[in-house]
Amino acid sequence: MTFWARTYDFLQGDSRTSSLVRVAFSVAVVLLIWEILTATVVTNRLLLVPPLEVFAALGRELANGNVWTNGVATGVALLVSFPVAVFIGVAGGLILASNRLFSLTAGPMLMALYSVPVVALAPLFIAWLGLGFASKFVIVSLVAVFPVLVTTEVGLRATDKALVDAARSFNANGWQIFTTVTLPYALPYVVSGVRVAWARALVGIVVAEFFGSFAGFGFAILAAGQTFDTATLLAYVILLGAMGVIGSLVFESAERRLAPWRHE
Amino acid sequence: MSKTTALEISNISKKFERPGRPTIEALRDINLSVKQGEFVSIVGASGSGKSTLLRIVDGLTQATGGTVSVNGKIVTRPGKDRAVVFQQDSLLPWKTVIDNVAYGLAINGVSRREREQTARHFINVSGLQGFESHFPHQLSGGMRQRVNVARALAVSPDILLLDEPFAALDAQTREVMQTELLRIWEEEKKTVVLITHQIDEAVFLSDRVVVFSARPGQIREEIEIELPRPRDLEVKRSATFVAYVDHIWKLIEQEVRMGMKS
Repeated sequence: MTFWARTYDFLQGDSRTSSLVRVAFSVAVVLLIWEILTATVVTNRLLLVPPLEVFAALGRELANGNVWTNGVATGVALLVSFPVAVFIGVAGGLILASNRLFSLTAGPMLMALYSVPVVALAPLFIAWLGLGFASKFVIVSLVAVFPVLVTTEVGLRATDKALVDAARSFNANGWQIFTTVTLPYALPYVVSGVRVAWARALVGIVVAEFFGSFAGFGFAILAAGQTFDTATLLAYVILLGAMGVIGSLVFESAERRLAPWRHE
Repeated sequence: MSKTTALEISNISKKFERPGRPTIEALRDINLSVKQGEFVSIVGASGSGKSTLLRIVDGLTQATGGTVSVNGKIVTRPGKDRAVVFQQDSLLPWKTVIDNVAYGLAINGVSRREREQTARHFINVSGLQGFESHFPHQLSGGMRQRVNVARALAVSPDILLLDEPFAALDAQTREVMQTELLRIWEEEKKTVVLITHQIDEAVFLSDRVVVFSARPGQIREEIEIELPRPRDLEVKRSATFVAYVDHIWKLIEQEVRMGMKS
């Protein structure tokens, strides 16, 4: 095998090192393109600043404690509202999957709500609930609940009939069928819903903080934008991106662990 | 060994009512009794209701008329005295081989230690040693069916119900599994009812082959298979064996032709 063939095989492999190398490579490429853009095309520093300046801004914000203040505001709002959204979504999915009539009646409405960009209603919630935690809580919960609800129902309904028959043939009662077949079968679906919900929750929190708050990443981004502090603005965007990637990785690995048979 | 009746199927009929569409009569007036330790196969054209009968015997499906009794007791639902080996892959994909084999025991509230012991025994019986902690998706089709068989045996049923267990396997694996099944049957002394559309499989394994007519399924003929036991694959080349297969094949062929005309 030639050197290139071996490198190719290593890079597309499943090992932890090869995936780290891939991530490092794609980050490097993005930073490089970004650097070239700021050096050649977009030379106006009000519009775009080179990566190094963004990292310097990030360091400044870390040093003066602003990241901490904003992070607590955003983090607390997410840590409270996201689990609530997941809980309500799973519970709703269970109710819908348990009863055909419920599902048929509520389904179209839920689908409509799932497709509507709920963040568009953010100004309304802020008018109702004021600036601060309450409006963030409602907006984040509302955008995050639907993906979980829909995938939970789909997962519970997707159960392989043959597995249910096998359980019944061993004399399993309804509760045993639910806990040993239906629920484990649905779990990876639920987790994939949670993954989508996390991405939507990040959008929800930023929009909520744009419109109505005194602290948080969204607030900081808006504030930096209004003072044309592009470096700080992008620093917070990078932090949000990191939160998205970390969440996605966590849920992806949970999915893989819960359903290894779907990945081979 | 006493030759008492293990399974008594009397006047079983089954109709599937479908709103707005014609009712399907799947089974009509089935009478069959199976002795303790007997190996009986049911063959017939596809759609002849064989699998429906097996589901009724297990208690998964309710008959429209007639009764099934196991050891003198009338069947209303699945019970510990019967276990099914399904054709499809009905193993739980998130459980290891040993946990799958122990599944029926877990459902019936057997303690962890005891069910692990029993599962290990049947893993050995089924030739699955070394695969205890594999997951089903890591096994070949033949190995998965071994797990299915072991899982059914683990609950120590009196009657083993096999619903085309080897239909999805390739020809070589199927032959290996057939001899394995014979060995296990001889060791465990179970009563077996096998549904299959492989005529040679039915003749090779059974004491008696029951031929079903096309829909509605009725018993067309019962044939005692008087081939000496223990049997090995050699027997498939004997003239008697070929004659049995030929006879059954002609019966089924007639049914299929009649079914196509109607």
